[in-house]
Amino acid sequence: MDSHRVSGNAATATLLFALSLLVCWLAARDFMKMWRDDVLVPLPEYRRIMLSDYLPKLAGTPVDTPVFIQDSGRPGAAVMVLGGTHPNEPSSFLSAVVLLENARVEAGRLIVVPFAMHAGFRHNFPQEASPSFLHFTLPDGSERVFRYGSRDMQHILMWPGPDIYKHKPSGQELSGNENKNLNRSYPGDPNGTLAEQLGFAIMELIRRENVDLAFDLHEASPEYPVIDAIVAHERSMELAAAVAMELKGMDIEIRLEPSPKNLRGLSHREWGDGTDTLPILMETANPSQGRLRGRTDEALALTGKDKAYAKARDMGNLFIPYSNGDQPVALRVARHLTAIRLFLEMLGLFHEGKDIVVEGIPHYEDMIAKGVGYYLKPLPID
Amino acid sequence: MQIVYRVIIAFILLLTIRCAYREKDFWKQATAALVVIPLVLRLLLIK
Repeated sequence: MDSHRVSGNAATATLLFALSLLVCWLAARDFMKMWRDDVLVPLPEYRRIMLSDYLPKLAGTPVDTPVFIQDSGRPGAAVMVLGGTHPNEPSSFLSAVVLLENARVEAGRLIVVPFAMHAGFRHNFPQEASPSFLHFTLPDGSERVFRYGSRDMQHILMWPGPDIYKHKPSGQELSGNENKNLNRSYPGDPNGTLAEQLGFAIMELIRRENVDLAFDLHEASPEYPVIDAIVAHERSMELAAAVAMELKGMDIEIRLEPSPKNLRGLSHREWGDGTDTLPILMETANPSQGRLRGRTDEALALTGKDKAYAKARDMGNLFIPYSNGDQPVALRVARHLTAIRLFLEMLGLFHEGKDIVVEGIPHYEDMIAKGVGYYLKPLPID
Repeated sequence: MQIVYRVIIAFILLLTIRCAYREKDFWKQATAALVVIPLVLRLLLIK
């Protein structure tokens, strides 16, 4: 019965633990590559501050994140674009980065927060097999790299997690892991958990900068009903409806969803209730975060090409056309940027004196034809 | 709270190592060697 038994002793234990440490070192080296922040090349017109300027206790924590402000010096509206609320939704932060590296403000102010959930970019979500990095080739042949992170903050930063997350101040109950989700934390609490402090700091940014129009960019699974969509607070709805009509006029299919009044903690609800801004949340389709996906790798995150999703489309289970069997990241970024451009163009029509003029936002067809890499700037040579 | 987390991890890690050194079966030692990998990474707050 014990024929396969191999004797162990102190020497074998030592040898095995030495091997364990080797594996730890190799794994740690891999995990820690994601701790390095992505390099940005903002236009010189932007002024860089930190989110902790709005809540000083965030300084030095993993959730503190850069905020870029471009003030034209001419009167007009203040608009904020928040990318990376969920770091596993690439078109969200890539759209913000493209704005940061291309958009010139001629009237009004533009505020860009490319990595809102900074602590979520430092790791992948366990057991999702997500890629760690996305690579883009630039016209000069150089390469830019961005991290593909996790939907939530690192668990260790908010240990122990509750079984049930109770939203402040409503008392609404959600599953425990939602306590690490920035987009369930609003309006936040300066003395609450790290996620609640982060939510509060973003609300403070909106209040202190008198942000007139605020975007929270997202992606969702192709099988999720709120997809290729604008979600608008009731105060933003008229403007959002006009933009949705304009998008449809450009043959860009878009859903327009009202922000549910009893779904608390989300940007499109709490920004509107707790500040004077007009909140807009937008969703594009990202097959690499869906439940039906097959092999999960960088190619899936960049192309959205997946035979399991093609089959789901044939069975009528998707909420996007998926007619070409793909959903390239350039298309998803183009959707976000085109909608933002239209919002900026129409803001002054619906709100007197709130004009904003921003040049350099890539057009829909150009982004799809040239790709995201075309609009990224080469890294400066040290 | 991170210190509590790390104390718990360190305690389990030490128990696992102690157990492995007392174990006479090589494969059970190998199992312990696998168990310590996530514990070390957690203790160092790497993953």
